[in-house]
Amino acid sequence: MGASKLSGMQKQVLSLYRGFLRAARSRPIEDRKRIEMIVSTEFRHNSKEVDRKNFQYIEYLLRLGTKQLDQLKSPAIVSLSSIKVVTSKT
Amino acid sequence: MATSFCSSISMQAPFSATTTRFCLNKQATIFNNEKTNNLSFSLRRLMPARLAVSCAVKQETVEKVSEIVKKQLSLTDDQKVTAGTKFTELGADSLDTVEIVMGLEEEFGITMAEERAKEIATVQQAAELIEELVQEKTA
Repeated sequence: MGASKLSGMQKQVLSLYRGFLRAARSRPIEDRKRIEMIVSTEFRHNSKEVDRKNFQYIEYLLRLGTKQLDQLKSPAIVSLSSIKVVTSKT
Repeated sequence: MATSFCSSISMQAPFSATTTRFCLNKQATIFNNEKTNNLSFSLRRLMPARLAVSCAVKQETVEKVSEIVKKQLSLTDDQKVTAGTKFTELGADSLDTVEIVMGLEEEFGITMAEERAKEIATVQQAAELIEELVQEKTA
């Protein structure tokens, strides 16, 4: 990571990823494992599928992720789950 | 910095036998270096002791870091992870590196500032930062 210079947007993505992993730590172990699995899968899926030049979509995903992270940090949220949703990227 | 080194050396003094045992190989290297130095510079005699202590501590940390890296990347024991190994050489992408750093934080009970965590590319760099943070924490 140190060798290659990361763009500002890449840094934001990694920062968000760190935030999710930190939030998962405060959860009970079972929830934590599921959260980490979901988050990891989601980030890796997007890193493969999303065009690096599609800045608008990436910014949208960053805002969406930030909102989800804020929700995850809230004690009111008991757990986290994911549903496969087919969305068009037009 | 110099002060912390001094206190570090004084703390290690009671365990000099153990330190010597662990550093036998490194000790030879240090002595070889000493032969080429001008003996009139008495201050340089302090260097070998510092290096010895430093090497002893970091070796343990490096090994621990290597174990965590292997575990995080699901590497087999055949894979050799040394101090100079880059995470990218092991097939780690930037997301993997974030996970490694988080794992190290948890293992050593420290928190790495994000700016500094970004600079980590090798096992050695990770070990050095961890040493620094652990010292700050205990201080």
